[in-house]
Amino acid sequence: MLNVLMVGAGQCGNRILDAVNREAFGGGKFSKYYSRQKFPSRVETIAVNTAINDLKEMHYTKAKDRIHIPNLHGVGANRIVGKQCFIDNKDLIMRNISERGEFDVGFVITSTSGGTGSSFSPLLIKELKGKYDFPIYSVVVLPFREEGTIYLQNSAFCLKEMYDSGADGIILADNQFLKDVGGDIKSAYDGINNMVAERLLFLLEALDSEMMMVTDLGDFQTVMSGGAGFATIGFAKGDGSNTIRSVIHDSLSPSGLLFSSNVFEEGSRAMIIMRGDRKYMSIDDISSEIDKLASHIGHVFKGVIVRNGELPKVLSVLTLESTSELENLYALAVEAIQIEKDKRERMDIRKEADATFSMIEGLEPQY
Amino acid sequence: MHERSNYCVIEGISKLKKNRIVGYSLLLFFFLILLTGSVSAESKTINTEISASSTSGDGYQINNYVVQITFIRESRAIIDLYELKESGDSIKLDFTTFSDQVATYKVGEGTIVVKEVNTTTSKTLVEIIVTDITVEYQKYIDGGVDRAIYIGEPSLELSKEVDKTSANIGDTIRVTIKAINSGSGTAQRISIDPGFTPGFTFKSTIYSTYPTELPVGTSYTQMYIYEVEAAKGGTFTLSPAIATYSSSVFEDDYTAPSTRPTVTVAEEAIETSNLSFTISQDKTELKRNEKITFTINVENLKDVPASMIKITPIIPNNLTYHSGSEDIDMINEKPIIQKSIFGSRYEGEYKFTFKADKVGANILTVKLTYNNGVEDISQEVTSDMFYVERGKYDFMAEYPIYVYITPVIIIIAIAGWLHWRRSQFRM
Repeated sequence: MLNVLMVGAGQCGNRILDAVNREAFGGGKFSKYYSRQKFPSRVETIAVNTAINDLKEMHYTKAKDRIHIPNLHGVGANRIVGKQCFIDNKDLIMRNISERGEFDVGFVITSTSGGTGSSFSPLLIKELKGKYDFPIYSVVVLPFREEGTIYLQNSAFCLKEMYDSGADGIILADNQFLKDVGGDIKSAYDGINNMVAERLLFLLEALDSEMMMVTDLGDFQTVMSGGAGFATIGFAKGDGSNTIRSVIHDSLSPSGLLFSSNVFEEGSRAMIIMRGDRKYMSIDDISSEIDKLASHIGHVFKGVIVRNGELPKVLSVLTLESTSELENLYALAVEAIQIEKDKRERMDIRKEADATFSMIEGLEPQY
Repeated sequence: MHERSNYCVIEGISKLKKNRIVGYSLLLFFFLILLTGSVSAESKTINTEISASSTSGDGYQINNYVVQITFIRESRAIIDLYELKESGDSIKLDFTTFSDQVATYKVGEGTIVVKEVNTTTSKTLVEIIVTDITVEYQKYIDGGVDRAIYIGEPSLELSKEVDKTSANIGDTIRVTIKAINSGSGTAQRISIDPGFTPGFTFKSTIYSTYPTELPVGTSYTQMYIYEVEAAKGGTFTLSPAIATYSSSVFEDDYTAPSTRPTVTVAEEAIETSNLSFTISQDKTELKRNEKITFTINVENLKDVPASMIKITPIIPNNLTYHSGSEDIDMINEKPIIQKSIFGSRYEGEYKFTFKADKVGANILTVKLTYNNGVEDISQEVTSDMFYVERGKYDFMAEYPIYVYITPVIIIIAIAGWLHWRRSQFRM
């Protein structure tokens, strides 16, 4: 049994972590009262936030698993303040993690655009990598592009720091890409959170299950070590009428991925895990579709989990050699940084005006 | 002269003799008077003819002695003396002396001498001399001693009767004294004290000429009649009349008190209050745990106020007092209405509401006590029968306790679990 550490930092990380816990309970609104969490592994979930209200909004994560970093009500999307706050309180966080025993793998879930999560996560990963030797992967959620210049520049710097932190892989999820989940903004966020949570749980099960065709944590590490360090996850469900081949295809298509990518062109390595009733698991279909992917990207690990009576589900983990969408994001981030710089310069002119005005302070007009 | 002198001497002697003769005569006269008086007090001679035959004869009873002609033969009578006993038997007495057809019998302190004077074939003339025995009773006995009746002590039974036992003050009551001799001897020298009773004023004697002698078995219904007037209220037992009498044989005196009738004389009418007292109820059938209300209506029917009014419901065992009128006080956890006074023509209505807590049929009794100006009055009214049926949820009490405990424990456990679980997820 794997020992898994799952840390959700900031509001976005908290909510995805809460969604993971809810899915582990079975997904029902009141499931936490009558059900036990069905993690396949020993999973320790920890929510970290500077905003107490965000922590209180969590309903499926136990209170003892929520760490409030006392800093008024958040860091106000200011990563500099956030990083200083982490430095001041990292002992609290690290002590809490160390009290939970040994781990085989860790996931740090966060949004790149916010304050607490985007500033805490790279530093937390760096601290964990410095103290422990288990692989740590970050699951980062990119913002809607129209959310504002601060969020864009935060994302750009966060990703860079995350990349430099020593994380063993960065799994990308893009709100902009997933915004078609639909409904109002809350429903959209909840839908995205649930999508990420469902995939993470599937992944954990895949890493810790006795499968017909085995994939394990080592395979996952191999996959995640490929490419440019970025990865994404695809997921699809069959309805019983379509073949496993089409379900695999769907998981690799934009409708199944968390991040916009042409995996056949940009993919580096992949791991495909299939789960469902034996009757859906046609080896020929599986092999033909995976062979097709392998012919484009190289090596593909595959695993099959047999569940009697269950419709087929497919999870694909793909590392990317290049991400055009990420380049687009950075282009926008540069613009955002320039806009913020211009604003700051205008603030300097204002200061000069203020100095000019100060020349007449204490004087009265004479008529 | 001698002669004369003699004559004179003789005359003197004659005068002396004459004086002595007169003195002796007077002395003899007084002696004879004394002697005659003594004989007449101690002796009595009875001459009578007694019929008889050669085989039987009649008798003559003197007190409880019977001179019996047993039979006559050859112009001679066989005469015996018998003493009658209280038991009805008779004893033939032996004579102490007998000579020349004269038999002397010693009886008690006296003597009876029976002398056969003359006898024919069918009757005998006898002379009976009774000495030192007071002859109170004497009678010819046809059939002889077997038909004689023992003369015993008299016993008067006196009764006092009134013509009314209830009367008002001023009414006249006639009192009649009756007597009957239920003894075995004649009552003689009867005198009656009518025995007047305090509380009654004597008005007049209607009849007082009662006989002084009453033979055995006879009664007299008008021994004494008088009228009195009731003078004050109350119940009176009249004083007894007392009869004093003596026996025809025995020397004792007797007294006999009469019966004592009771006469109630009404007090003078005093105006008092009178409370009318009724009860009604709002239902006669109810279920357990439901309520039933009784309404008590009290009305003073008179112009005189009633005081110290107390209305007390006697609560049956299947009701529990719930609420009621403001006038109700709770004393020892029991509802009671206490009022110092109900004015003339006062009307009051009081409600008592009870909760039925047991199944069963019952009635409510309400007790009213008050003072009507003269005395304390107590009266009760009872409601119609009411029936308490099983309550809507009474069937639940029939199940064993675990039927309720189990779900309660489960609910508590679930609630505890939910609370504990919720606390795990709250910050």
